[in-house]
Parts: sequence; structure tokens; C-alpha cells
Amino acid sequence: MQRNTRLKRELQMLSTEPPPGISCWQTEGRIDDLRAQIVGGENTPYEGGLFSLEIKVPERYPFEPPKMRFLTPIYHPNIDNAGRICLDALKLPPKGAWKPSLNISTVLSSIQLLMAEPNPDDPLMADISSEYKYNKPVYLEKARRWTEKHAVQQNQSLEDAEDKTQGKQDKVLSAGRKREALGSLEPQDNSKKTCL
Amino acid sequence: MENSDSSEQGGSEQSDTQRRRQLDRLDREEAFYQFVNNLSEEDYRLMRDNNLLGTPGEITEEELLSRLQQIKDGPEQPATNESRSEEAPGPEGQEEGSNGDSLLDWLNTVRRTGNTTRSGHRGNQSWRAVSRTNPNSGDFRFSLEINVNRNIAEQQAQNEEAEQREGEEPVSLGPEPEPEPEPEPEPETPMETADVVEEPVVEELAVIVEPEEPEPPRSETASITQDFSFQTQAAPPPRPEDVVRRAQPYTAQPFSFQTQPLPPPRLEDPSRRGQRRARSRSPEQRRTRARSERSRSPLGPSPESLPEAVVEGSSRTRQHVLSRQSTAEFDAQPGGAGAGEAAEVAAAAAAAAAAAAADPRVVPSQEGEPPAGEGGAAGRRPPTIMLDLQVRRVRPGEYRQRDSIASRTRSRSQTANNTFLYESERGGFRRTFSRSERAGVRTYVSTIRIPIRRISDAGLSEATSMALQSMIRQIMTGFGELSYFMDSDSDSSDSNRGPNPPPPEQAEPLHNPETVAAAAAAAAASASGGLAPESGDSRTEERGVEGGTPPRAGPRGPISLEEPGSLPFLRLAHFFLLNDDEDDQPRGLTKEQIDNLSTRNFGESDALKTCSVCITEYAQGNKLRKLPCSHEYHVHCIDRWLSENSTCPICRRAVLVSANRESVV
Repeated sequence: MQRNTRLKRELQMLSTEPPPGISCWQTEGRIDDLRAQIVGGENTPYEGGLFSLEIKVPERYPFEPPKMRFLTPIYHPNIDNAGRICLDALKLPPKGAWKPSLNISTVLSSIQLLMAEPNPDDPLMADISSEYKYNKPVYLEKARRWTEKHAVQQNQSLEDAEDKTQGKQDKVLSAGRKREALGSLEPQDNSKKTCL
Repeated sequence: MENSDSSEQGGSEQSDTQRRRQLDRLDREEAFYQFVNNLSEEDYRLMRDNNLLGTPGEITEEELLSRLQQIKDGPEQPATNESRSEEAPGPEGQEEGSNGDSLLDWLNTVRRTGNTTRSGHRGNQSWRAVSRTNPNSGDFRFSLEINVNRNIAEQQAQNEEAEQREGEEPVSLGPEPEPEPEPEPEPETPMETADVVEEPVVEELAVIVEPEEPEPPRSETASITQDFSFQTQAAPPPRPEDVVRRAQPYTAQPFSFQTQPLPPPRLEDPSRRGQRRARSRSPEQRRTRARSERSRSPLGPSPESLPEAVVEGSSRTRQHVLSRQSTAEFDAQPGGAGAGEAAEVAAAAAAAAAAAAADPRVVPSQEGEPPAGEGGAAGRRPPTIMLDLQVRRVRPGEYRQRDSIASRTRSRSQTANNTFLYESERGGFRRTFSRSERAGVRTYVSTIRIPIRRISDAGLSEATSMALQSMIRQIMTGFGELSYFMDSDSDSSDSNRGPNPPPPEQAEPLHNPETVAAAAAAAAASASGGLAPESGDSRTEERGVEGGTPPRAGPRGPISLEEPGSLPFLRLAHFFLLNDDEDDQPRGLTKEQIDNLSTRNFGESDALKTCSVCITEYAQGNKLRKLPCSHEYHVHCIDRWLSENSTCPICRRAVLVSANRESVV
């Protein structure tokens, strides 16, 4: 299992140099079950929120993409009510764009980017998507309200709960919100035509 | 994984041990790369194709070396039960009564992890399952062998009896398999045929059952066999390449039985046998059966084999059931219903059935008592049943040329190799049934191609999927019928019935009971809904039961084989077919295509120092593979990715586009 070796390295990298606004750690010593948090980006309706994600790493990782899902409700054209994310990097070719040179960290960054830049042309939530396209103020308002409601205060308690259950050393929270750092990411040729 | 568990606990001694373990692991990884680098191209391929490389850091160099040795020493002998079982990552199945589910679970883990052996025994039965998976190629092979043994003493007695009888009536031999089955020892050469097709579209599932039954001499009141050992065994040659597992598509080989290497002749050494035999069955269990005396065996047993049978009594010679000719024939058969987009389920029921068929006196009992039982009855040589499950994906175009011959039912016979072929198409499924005879062994091959594509693409039309399911059920049921092989001789008292009634599930009108000659064949035939072969010499005959010998009452073995479909491993078909709902299976490269990509050794001066698949830095001497886009990776890392995908993990450029010229044959 290449998975474990690789995951270990990834977790190490995530803890030493996490991407800005992203943190990731393993739950209860299970290497295939991770949690992540993404800080809502500035100038997005998600600003001020802290969004938790669940990451399941399949046996065949990195030959298969990790499975990621939002635990925190989020109002977004490409994320459904169950937290499922429509992102090509989360799917295998030929439909998706997963490749083994991606990793948890880059995928989380992609998600962060997706939060800032929804892709209404490949919607998972059709109504939110059309709202985003044709009535943006309404979308922004709703997204902000959701963030307020789910990602801000509840997040506090979530975080607390996690602090209790989690070993501390694996938990890395970097609250930096420097989005410009995203520029250093691999080119994201996101043609996210993977949903619906 | 070992290390990860402790990572949460804070204790310093824990972190110490953890660190030590990590160091160990690093050492092993180092050793692994060293090892891989020192392998010759050939050895590397050999090991990779047999999935012996494992994961860096998890296997010691010595282990690797011994694996290499083992594989080089020839096909791993399945008989090395003990040694192989060490490799089994899964639950070491000593537990009694493996039920289908646990087997399935086990399989689930196994299919990704490679070679495993699981074995166990209870009472007088022992079983062993071997599976080999090659993650690189996606090949999968699974085999199960079951041995049921009875009391030695009884056996001997029987032998004597039998000998006597034989003396009296040597003529009545059923078809006797030649003692030396064609050995086909060749496993070294990768079987790849040049048949590389562009992109796989289809899934193909082949379930091959080759019951093999040396039919021992039979006399009027042949006592039904004691040492009824049943062997279900997949074609043993360890080359996983022959079989492709569905989930991981594509080998270049066309689906064919020829890829089925024959089991290396005898798996068991005498000592072992003895031991097995020791597990006895109560003597009562033996039955005698009156048989009608027609002792004409059309497929004359080879003369030499006769004596041998007598002498050796229990020696089991395994015979290859599927003749190449039949194979070829079969293979040549018309493509699936939809241009290459068909899943193919092939059930080959062979020899035993065949043998039985050859013997006029064999009558299928009501339960579908298979001749195998009778073979067993013959007692001297235990029948051998091999079950071989092969799964592979059909490449588009693979059958294309032959598609034109679709939708007809036809049959033809080639006297040359005695091969008959029947074919029909109904409801979108194509079935073929072929029979061939060789050296007194008849082989039945039944194939069904199911256009899975249609299902997955068209978005699961209810009807189709129902049809598919029922097809699968039929197949499994058909195989389940095999269980009667084992079962039947116990119930043979009521075997004096006519032709085998079709199993409940199989409503195929075409089923021709008369031909049931071989239950296996019948099973296969009925499973496929195929045509039963008209075998001239098969007869339905009445079989008298002699004496009030009670049917065997002994407890059945751990694997409950009684009900149709209960052979746990038969669910594999289900497992494979239904597990594969991801319709967007990535397309990978074939082994040849991969091997044609250039490799080199890492040198310190290189710029890119990390393999992006494993995120590990290259070490001096690491073997790297360079894709046409110039990106490089560890060979073992990229090979695995390319076996399922065709793009560069970094730039996503298609590997084949530029590689095509050289690599595609």
C-alpha cells in the first residue's frame, strides 16, 4: 500500500507548511479518515466562516482520488446539501481530472478556490447556480446568511469538540487567509464539467 | 499503516518505537528500491506481472528475493499450500465453513492485494482458495480446490473390490483420461497475444468451470466411490495475466480459454494424500449402485491409462479439459451482441461431465446428479473439478469482425478436432456453446456475452438489468449444480430416474435433458440457456440401485455445496459483474504499451528529484520510467497508474498519442 507511506508524507507536509487558510489532520489515529477546515476567503460570501470537510482516503490512493465532503452546510452552486462537491479533481479520468500528482493539499486548495469562484456552468445545485448567474446579489446574500448561521457560530463548537477528541499534535490550524498564495498552486485547468 | 495507529498517543516510548519503526521502514524502502533496480528487465516484469513487488517498505528484500526465486522456479505450485498461505493478508481461513459472504469479503480485500491463499479444512474436507491479482494489469484469477476424503481403510477395501472388478470387466471403463494430461508447463511466457485493441469498451466475465473427471473403470455394481475427492481448481498456472479482473481492465489478450494454462499436473504428493485420506468418512457412506451394463465407451480410454488407474488407485491425474482446439474455436466465435460491447460470461463445463457423457451408462439423476459423482463412484481416481474464474474486459473491436455472424443459431462440426459449436442469440445476449472431444475427454464451453455497456450507458434500463441479473443467476445456478457432483453420489439411490430435470431457475426451453450427459455440461448449458449438445453417445439410462445401501448420511463439508448456487465462490460472478457499476472506468494501457515506454536509472544530476506519485525522492539507482511528455516516475509507481489510466499524472497528456507508433503492435 503506497497509500500509507504517501499519506504520512502528506500529513507531514500539511502540518509543516499548510496552504493558507487550510488545515487538515487525521481523526483518531485513522490514516484514511481525515478532517479539514477551510477558512472562508476574504471578499467572498463565506468570509468569516470556518468550513469543515470530511476526507476519506480510499485504499488505492493515490491511484484514486480522495473522497471529500463538506460537513458544514454551505450555500454554493457546486456543493449540494449533503456536502458533496462537484470538482473534477475529485473524480477519476476520463470524467474527472484526478491524477496521482495531486494530493490532499492541492485538492483542498482547489476547493478553496471553488468556493471563491463557483462554476455555475457545471452546477450541482441548479437553482443556486442560476441565482448565481442571474441574480448574484441574492446569491451573495443567501450564502452570507448560511455562512453566518452554520459556519460561524456552530463552527466554534465544532472546533471545540474536535479539540477534545483529537490528538493535538496532528492538528494544525493555520488561519492565514492569504489568497494570493494560491497563485503558486499548480495551474488549475479547471474545466469542471463533471457534474450533472 | 502500523505506524499511523500510534501516532495519536503521546507517550515518549511510543514515539520512540514509532520512530524506530519508521526507520526500519525507510531501510526496507531503500532496500526495495535497491532490489527493484537490480532486477533485470525480465525479472522486473515477471515480478510486476505477478504482483510480487508489493509496496516499498513493506516487504523485506529477502522476501522479495524469495518471491522472485519462487516465481522463477516455475509456476508457483498451487500445492504449496502452507507456504502460500503466509502471503495471505486476509483472514487466514481456518475457520470452518467458509460461507459465501466471508469469502466475498476476503475476496474484496484480495482483489486489490494480490496473491493470497486461504485454506482450511473440516472433517474430511479440505479446501484451499488461491487468488492472484495483478494490480498493474488488472488480471485476476481465483481458484478453489476442495478435497473430500473418506476413510482410507475403506478406500482400500474399495480398491480391492474395484480391482477385482476391473479384472473382470476391464472393458467397462469409462473414458479414461490419459494419465499425463497435457502439462502445459509454460507459464513463463506472458501470454499476451498480439491482439491489442485500442480501447476497451467492454467488460468480459468468464467463468470457467472445468470439472475434470477421470472416469474410472466401472463395473456392474460399481461401488461408489470412497475417496471422492473433489477438486475445484482454477487453472493453476500462476499467471494472473491470463485473467483480468473486471475492475481493472485490459490486457491485450483476447478472451479465450486458451489463456487458461493447464494446471500443472498433480498437485498433491502422496504423503499429503494419505493424510487427507485419513480424515475419514464413515464406511456406510459408500454405496453401491447397480448400473446398467452398457459398457461401451465410445471414447476409448487410452489403454495405458487403464492399468495405471488400477495400480495407483488414488493417484489423481489431472487432465486438461479444454483442448486448445476447442478454445480456439470458441474464441473465434462471434462477437457479442453489441460490437464488442458485451460482457462475456463463459462457463465451461468440461471433462468430467464429458467423460461421464461418454459413458453410456451414466444417467443423470433427478437432482442433476452429475457424472462427476459417478466418476467419484469409480473411486479409483478421484474426480477433479476445476473451477476457474476469469474476468476480463473485452476490448472494443475485439470481436468486431465476427459480429456479422450474429443472431443465428448455428452449429458446426469440425471433425478434425471434434469440435461442435452451437450458438444462439436471444434477447440481446449471445450464447455460444461448444463441445469438443479429445482423448476421451469432452469439453463443454458455454459462453454468454452480456452487453454491459448498454446497461451502463443507457442508464440502466430496468429490463436489461433484470435480464442481466437473471442471466447471472442462471450462471450461478448452473454452477451451483456442480455441487451436485459432490452431493449426488450420496443421493444416488434415487438416481434411477430419467433425465435431469432442469433446475428451477432455468427456464430455457432449449435445455435438452438428454444431453445432460455431464451435469457440468448441462449446468453450463442450462446456465447459458445454451443448446445442449446432441451427443450421440450420451444416453439416458436407468440406473438401478443395488441393495438397500443407505444414502450417504454423513455431514457435508464445510462448504455447503448442497443447494444450487451455494458454491460460495460462484457468487464471484455476481461480485464482479455487479460491483462494477462505475461506468466511467478509466482506460489504461496494456502491459506491452507500458513496457515500451523508456526507462532509465536515476542519476544524481537529474533535476526533478521526486516521484510525484509516491512523493518520494529518487534514490541513486532508482529505475525511472519516462513518459513521452518527459515526465518521469518510479517504474512501479507509474506502471500501476498507467495500467488504469492513459495520461501523465503531471501534465495529463495522453501517453499513447505519442507512444502509439512504437508501442502498439
